[in-house]
Amino acid sequence: MTIPPPTAAPTGGTAKPAGKRRQLAPYAFIAPFYVLYTLFMVVPIGTAVYLSTTEWVGLGTPDFVGLRNFANLARDTSFHKALGNSLIYVLVSVFVVVPAALLIAQALHTKGLRARDLFRITFFLPMVLSPIVIALVYSLLLDRDYGLLNSVLRALFGGGNTDWLGDPTLAKVSVGFVILWRWVGYLTIFFLAALQAVPKERYEAAELDGAGRLRTFTAVTLPAIRPVTAFVVVTSFIGAAQLFDEPYLITGGGPGEETLSVAMFVYRAAFERQQFGYAAAAGLVLFVIVFGISQILNRLLSIGRV
Amino acid sequence: MTPRSAPRGLGRRELLRLGGGLGMAGLLGGALTGCGTGRAAEPVTSGTVDLSFWTHDQVYYDFFAAAAEHAEAAGSRFHWRLHLTQASAQDVVTKSIAQAIAGRGTPDVAGLEIGSFTRLLRGDLAAELLEDLTEDVAEVRDDLLPMRTAPYTKDGRLYALDSDAPLCVFYYRKPEYARLGISPDFASWEEVLDVGERLYEREGVSLGAVAVGSELGQVVQVYEMLTMQRGGRFFDEDGELSIETPEAEQALDVLVRGVQSGCFGTVSDFYGPAMQTALKTGKVISVPMATWYKVYGLRNNVPEQEGEWRIRSLPVFPDGGARTSFTGGTGFAALRGKENTLAGVELIKAGFLTPQEQVRRYVEMGYLPTRRSVFDDPSLSDIEDDYCGGQRMFQVYREVIDEAPVYYLSADRPVLDTVLSGYVLRAYHGDLSPREALGRAADDFRGQTRS
Repeated sequence: MTIPPPTAAPTGGTAKPAGKRRQLAPYAFIAPFYVLYTLFMVVPIGTAVYLSTTEWVGLGTPDFVGLRNFANLARDTSFHKALGNSLIYVLVSVFVVVPAALLIAQALHTKGLRARDLFRITFFLPMVLSPIVIALVYSLLLDRDYGLLNSVLRALFGGGNTDWLGDPTLAKVSVGFVILWRWVGYLTIFFLAALQAVPKERYEAAELDGAGRLRTFTAVTLPAIRPVTAFVVVTSFIGAAQLFDEPYLITGGGPGEETLSVAMFVYRAAFERQQFGYAAAAGLVLFVIVFGISQILNRLLSIGRV
Repeated sequence: MTPRSAPRGLGRRELLRLGGGLGMAGLLGGALTGCGTGRAAEPVTSGTVDLSFWTHDQVYYDFFAAAAEHAEAAGSRFHWRLHLTQASAQDVVTKSIAQAIAGRGTPDVAGLEIGSFTRLLRGDLAAELLEDLTEDVAEVRDDLLPMRTAPYTKDGRLYALDSDAPLCVFYYRKPEYARLGISPDFASWEEVLDVGERLYEREGVSLGAVAVGSELGQVVQVYEMLTMQRGGRFFDEDGELSIETPEAEQALDVLVRGVQSGCFGTVSDFYGPAMQTALKTGKVISVPMATWYKVYGLRNNVPEQEGEWRIRSLPVFPDGGARTSFTGGTGFAALRGKENTLAGVELIKAGFLTPQEQVRRYVEMGYLPTRRSVFDDPSLSDIEDDYCGGQRMFQVYREVIDEAPVYYLSADRPVLDTVLSGYVLRAYHGDLSPREALGRAADDFRGQTRS
């Protein structure tokens, strides 16, 4: 690459302003990005950090309270429960949803599969449905007394009085199932794209070496799609750690606080209890946890490295 | 390649730092210091006023529009033109606060549902946002029901006027009671439990219902109603938690025994499809609920049962308490510091304070007067209700109004709803005794409100 020599600065009375303009020009070109970045990233994050050290109801001047909000969070049983629930959602997402998506992608990738597009659309459909619709449908399905699921169970087995959304354990299972139902199709698309990019020669070589299906999957497929898997794992982790829609709409965080997620905790503190400082502190804790673990995952999974 | 040196004092890093710093300082300072309400605008004192009116229910808009016409005809100095914005009860509060932060676009008059109003009790929100109506009601203060001004009062200042005195009564479906051979003249809740248990065993029919779904407020609603009837309350006058009492325990005990025996059915949504199904299928044939439940719960969900329902006062607790209780309500407030604040206050007074409008409110909307003297208006006692088979319902209300308990709110009410709902459900399931449930709820509440 050849670099053109710098143009000689003009001399005389007009030289200085022109030179300055030229020096400023690059900054003017990159300015829009930085202005927007500052406005929509730096300022909100800075504001959140500042708010987390205050007590503020939404109007008036925030009162500085130092680290008291964080100290209270450390002792808040509700926040501990929310952290625990979010951990469960993360585990479901990473260890159930991601493998399920991979298996479905593998199935859809099978040679000679008929109506492949129909299957793809079917699996992807929940992703494009409005969360409100999903919540409505599932509350009708899972209602203890008048839900479709219990009605079917009652008709088939005579029991069917299970409180899917009212029992603490089953409510978590129900939310977990909806996460699986909603996200698996979306992740399947990534895996499918990755599987289609695996060179056929590798499968032929494995076949010649006498590898069975399982061996081919573990020795050829998985290493070949590792970058995509890593990406899917990290984004699933981040999405699940910040989960809000599913528990908010289906169980409202209940019964009690049994399905409350950290994102819901933040929302509740800010917009239902007018504790903006406390909400900001909880949001900051969530941010630090998600950012920290994402960085660890990035390194472990070598994301973005050749 | 030789890197070109940046001009002195305008390095890339310095420029970015400067920009970031200035942006942060400007926006952070502007955003937070500007969050107070602005300077008070010069108020409009007469003439035509375009009034921004926010509510969760169109029926209030219609009522106030008519009240404005009546007041104008009676010689009001204002000519109000109402502009409706309809949003959910929660959103009316959320968006009012958001607009106040923005410094413009707040409503002139807002209908604040009582469950959402609690949010304005935190810090100085109510004082910052709402006009103090204390002086405006001074002339009729003694006539206003204190139990309906207490919830909207903070530090001795009244910030909203209630749209209703939502007394709780016992709704029952008369033909179904007759068909099943039971009398609605229960002497006490104990008798309800006794009859209800046998009825559920025999017919699979319940004499009441409680919510067990995801709406936390609904889960505790019936429980709070009974607690207040028994003479207890969730918060005392000073806003202190007051659930570890024999009254609160007895009320929960009645519900727990009722749910476990089938006397009270369980529904996921008290105002939605689950309750509608329970009512339509005749699985629930009576409900203890507030006055407004006839409109929002029964007439909306089971219009075909018109003429079948009746009301009576609540069955009593043997150990004491009243024959009624309260649940719900919506306070109307004017937002302070606006040019239309005075016009807003005058509209609320015109709609909610005059005896004529209180009578009209009951006739047209079914919402009870909040002035005690209006309960003695003979025209109200003679009104027959079509949905309730021509019953003169006001006579029932008139009989129990003086027993109605005072209802106090607290800024921490949402916290209590959260923790209490979980433990109430566990008590229903039999995992905890009523006393244990209330004790643990109180512990959690104190843990969460430490800050």
